[in-house]
Amino acid sequence: MTSRGNLLLILCLGLLVVGVTVFLSERRIKEYRSEQFLMDTLVSIKVYGDDAATLPLAIAAAYGEMHRIAALVDRFPLPGSEDCRRSDVCRINEMAGIGPVHVDADTLAMLLLAKKYHALSAGTFDVTIGPVLDLWDFTGDVPKVPASSTIVETLSLVDIESLEVNAAESTAFLRKVGMKLDLGALAKGYATEKALQALAGQGIKKGLIDAGGNIRVLGSNARNAPWRIGIKDPRQADALVAIVTLEDAAAVTSGDYYRYFEADGQRYHHILDPRSGYPASENMSVTVVSQDAGLADILSTVFFVMKEEEALTLAEKLSVNLIMVSAAGRISHTSGLAAHLEVLPGGAYRYDPR
Amino acid sequence: MTRADKVLIAAVLLCALLGLVTIYRHFFISADQLLPTQATITVAGKVLHTIDLDPVGGNEMMQITGRLGPATVEVAGGRIRMREANCPEQICVKQSWIQAPGSTIVCLPGEIIIHIDGLAPVDAVTR
Amino acid sequence: MFSTRRLVYLSLLLAMATTLHVLEGLFPIPLPFPGVKLGLANIVTLLVLYLYDLRAAMTVAIARVLLGSLLGGTFFAPAFFLGLTGAVISTLIMALLVKKTTCFSPLGISLCGAVSHNLGQLLMASFLLQNQAIFFYLPILLLGAIPTGLVTGYLLQGLLERLKAAGILAELTRN
Repeated sequence: MTSRGNLLLILCLGLLVVGVTVFLSERRIKEYRSEQFLMDTLVSIKVYGDDAATLPLAIAAAYGEMHRIAALVDRFPLPGSEDCRRSDVCRINEMAGIGPVHVDADTLAMLLLAKKYHALSAGTFDVTIGPVLDLWDFTGDVPKVPASSTIVETLSLVDIESLEVNAAESTAFLRKVGMKLDLGALAKGYATEKALQALAGQGIKKGLIDAGGNIRVLGSNARNAPWRIGIKDPRQADALVAIVTLEDAAAVTSGDYYRYFEADGQRYHHILDPRSGYPASENMSVTVVSQDAGLADILSTVFFVMKEEEALTLAEKLSVNLIMVSAAGRISHTSGLAAHLEVLPGGAYRYDPR
Repeated sequence: MTRADKVLIAAVLLCALLGLVTIYRHFFISADQLLPTQATITVAGKVLHTIDLDPVGGNEMMQITGRLGPATVEVAGGRIRMREANCPEQICVKQSWIQAPGSTIVCLPGEIIIHIDGLAPVDAVTR
Repeated sequence: MFSTRRLVYLSLLLAMATTLHVLEGLFPIPLPFPGVKLGLANIVTLLVLYLYDLRAAMTVAIARVLLGSLLGGTFFAPAFFLGLTGAVISTLIMALLVKKTTCFSPLGISLCGAVSHNLGQLLMASFLLQNQAIFFYLPILLLGAIPTGLVTGYLLQGLLERLKAAGILAELTRN
């Protein structure tokens, strides 16, 4: 073969290789994921896009929002510390019975949401539950069942009507000494929604935020299909009761298995009925599907405390979807979810599709 | 360039392409397709057959007997379907092929259930 | 030892190899796969094999990797060990083909050099990382080795022809 022929052959082979590599790299939509411990849980964010450079930036912006909200609602910094001065919730609690505290716009928004859904929930949702939560001490080393007289006594401090929120002045005030706010039932969802807006603001079209099981998705998944979100079996580890498909929506679950202790053969979990001061016993788990992670977080707690029929009726009225496993082991869901839900066979639960 | 050179180039090219194909299958196909391995056919609550769903396997026909008479199940290319069934509405036949883990074909009157074992893969779990 | 004349020529060739090694490090091929590169310095190793013997070629190859890593600031970094293993193994393979076979032209031998260089690198990488999964990268490196090995082989072929025509080849190999 001539020297020129050789050169031609080599050039062709080179082009082939470049072609294959370009083909392979173009096919690949880039994924970037990152995990951080935040708000007492593991938050993982994954985003997809063509431009590898913007993905980490977007994730950093999302975590920035979550850290900001987390600092605002932190309830347990040392009194008088720098962290406490940064935390609106800590300062409101310190000033309970003394005077109003100027708060951040996001804290204000969360407090207004808390008041709004308290009114809609027939008293099953109250962010001034702090003093009773402290009695139970679910996060402590040796949680125990408090005396019923103590609970009844402390319940007098659980009263969201005594939380004054002044939207015009951006202030909040707990009227009685000893009252304590706890935004645990909505802060994670609110922060997740803020983080998602940060992702979208950075031009991200596809992504998923998993804040300790609070799921918020942006767009469709990497295979351009709706995201498939499993709903955990409340009694069996690593098992699912159902799969729900989502696009641009949130799925948040409240369950009695997440943080609990057992005493005298009974399970005491961390979602308290603010009317009784005891763990709510109607359901094992409630998952709310809605466009907004903050709303889904609030409503999962609201519905968890309610009876099945009451919860389903309110969900239809508020135009959100829910799937619940009642304490009796029955799976039920709103009719709007039927087309997006696959209840898996083999679980120990009863399910009669309506 | 000698004849041996050309043989050499061809050999390296072949190795590289074979390797790429193997990896491509391994990483891009297996994630979705290696998992659905087995299907179970149940008639009136009793497991009749457990079949391997080989993604590169050939056609296979199976005669079974449901409550309303004979039915034919077909397996091919990692998928399974009810080819023929002796039932009035033919819903199970119309459902055609299934292949994803967790999918099910149910013939209600014949009490026949074809279920692909395994959990359907999910992107995340809410808990 | 090498004769003084050969020592001088080898030093010059080593200087060229080092220069090519460093230059190539400055202009990476814009492909999304790290590790795919032309291997221009391999031209010199192969030239030394054609002119002299394995010992001379191995000396030049190892010295070139040492000097190149010193200049590039990667001395004793993982990249250094990868390059060294690749250079040693490819020199051995090419020596075998140059001295013991007659059926391959410089193109084929250079291709074998590129392939064995990549193999050696991956062996070392899997040893350093304690991870065998890295061998999944081999097909891409093999695919890359075809054009890069052939291009360097082609350049060497042209170089040998011109050296011969100019009468320098005889001068270089004179003892």
